[in-house]
Amino acid sequence: MARVVVMGAGIAGHTAALHLKRILKKSDEVIVVSPNSKYNWIPSNIWVGVGKMNKSQVTFPLAPVYKRKKITFHQALATAVHPAGDSQISSPYIEVTYTDSNKNGTSAKIEYDYLINATGPKLNFAATEGLGPDGHTVSVCTSDHAIEAAHSLKAVIAKMKAGQKQTLVIGVGHGTCTCEGAAFEYTFNVEHELKQAGVRDLAEIIYLTNEYELGDFGVGGLIFTQHGFQTTSKLWTESLFRERNIHAILGAHVEKIEAGLIHYELVDGTKGTLSFDFAMLLPPFRGVDMKAFEKDGSDISAEIFAPSGFMKVDADYSGKPYEEWLASDWPNTYQVPKFPNVFAVGIAFAPPHQISKPRKSPNGTLVAPSPPRTGMPSGIMGKVAAVNIATLIKSGNGAKVRSASMADMGAACVASAGSGLRKGSAASMTMYPVVPDYMKFPTTGRSIDDTFGEIGLAGHWIKLLLHYMFIYKAKARFGWFLIPE
Amino acid sequence: MENGTESIKHAPLPTEKTLRSRRNLPFQLWRFAAINIKMIKMIRRGHH
Repeated sequence: MARVVVMGAGIAGHTAALHLKRILKKSDEVIVVSPNSKYNWIPSNIWVGVGKMNKSQVTFPLAPVYKRKKITFHQALATAVHPAGDSQISSPYIEVTYTDSNKNGTSAKIEYDYLINATGPKLNFAATEGLGPDGHTVSVCTSDHAIEAAHSLKAVIAKMKAGQKQTLVIGVGHGTCTCEGAAFEYTFNVEHELKQAGVRDLAEIIYLTNEYELGDFGVGGLIFTQHGFQTTSKLWTESLFRERNIHAILGAHVEKIEAGLIHYELVDGTKGTLSFDFAMLLPPFRGVDMKAFEKDGSDISAEIFAPSGFMKVDADYSGKPYEEWLASDWPNTYQVPKFPNVFAVGIAFAPPHQISKPRKSPNGTLVAPSPPRTGMPSGIMGKVAAVNIATLIKSGNGAKVRSASMADMGAACVASAGSGLRKGSAASMTMYPVVPDYMKFPTTGRSIDDTFGEIGLAGHWIKLLLHYMFIYKAKARFGWFLIPE
Repeated sequence: MENGTESIKHAPLPTEKTLRSRRNLPFQLWRFAAINIKMIKMIRRGHH
């Protein structure tokens, strides 16, 4: 009998846990540790943030699903990993602190044979003074944040209905943020809502981003074919901004936020301020607060985790200059080299380098969009980690395992630009691979045939379809495993 | 200090015909099917 512990119940962790239970023997045990009692289909938080969906439509309780699937669930926060055990416990184990109402605050140790770290990000609002729900801006990173964003948006719409002009700033709150696609989506959903409310002419919408160019999305932009020409996501995105009359501040690092005022620095070193009535700025991510200890009790956190707090896996972390990086530097199996029974997937693994070119201002400020590794890539990594663990349990540690490199993995992204079955729209994009591979695809780094973008109502229908399909899958309903990640 | 303004100003605007096609139900139904096929093809390529 083997015991697999999964830390985190987001897209990567939940997918891994369900697949593990499906593949492993009945006698094997799958344990999920997550501080949250509910699963959140985060891509739809955008619609909660504009008041088009409520919390219950994007979340559901995890416990009943795990009970039905015979997965043990601990509503707890993982605080430390002991990958070689310690002087008293010979097996590897993790330390957890419970967050549920019954055991709240109590600690426990959970032993494992295999561990998947899918803890996702720590929302690092503290990186920018005044950023976030405890400061002066809203966010859509969690369903509760999105509800608050919807309330704030409603308040500015009411002011506009009373004839007051309002400035809405949407984007990212730090030079090293990721998830620019989500900020893009929220920008266009807000614009759509303002139009629906009949107040668009009283609103100035400004997209504030760390991207050097529009359409970068943290992946260095896309090149694809349209009407017989190669075009770029830059041109395509700029066209959408022009059509919807949305302004943009690019290559920005937000330094500080005061009530109604954003201070930022641009990549060229100039500094500016921006007044706002409503601001939704995403925070930068870092790894969750977790420590790692050797058998003798010595702290090996710096060996196991990158300075960003994300877990180091089978990638090349030698710190070569950006221009020298190769697709092959990205991880294949997501195993921690020193402890191959530990995997880190989804946002929890440390990417070896940025995909977008990192830049520094003359003042030394880093403006570098971090690589996105949410959604589809997270799900695929979670599934492959589960399959590989099952293989290792069945065939032993020398068994050949599968690879799920982001340099050999595609991603589909449907960025909503407004909801409504007749009036909605979305930008549908695919890219293959996520991490450009200039050895395989010398011209653009990606397959032109598998990379494309298109705007239209069909994209909204696809986004809606994905919402219902992936919540069905996450609830582990009949045939859930037939739906691809 | 909207440093994106200049490039946005020179971006191509979609024509009325393009805007209509983005909401035309029969055309979008076709695009719905076509995009899904493209995505499935790409997903298959990316799954291991």
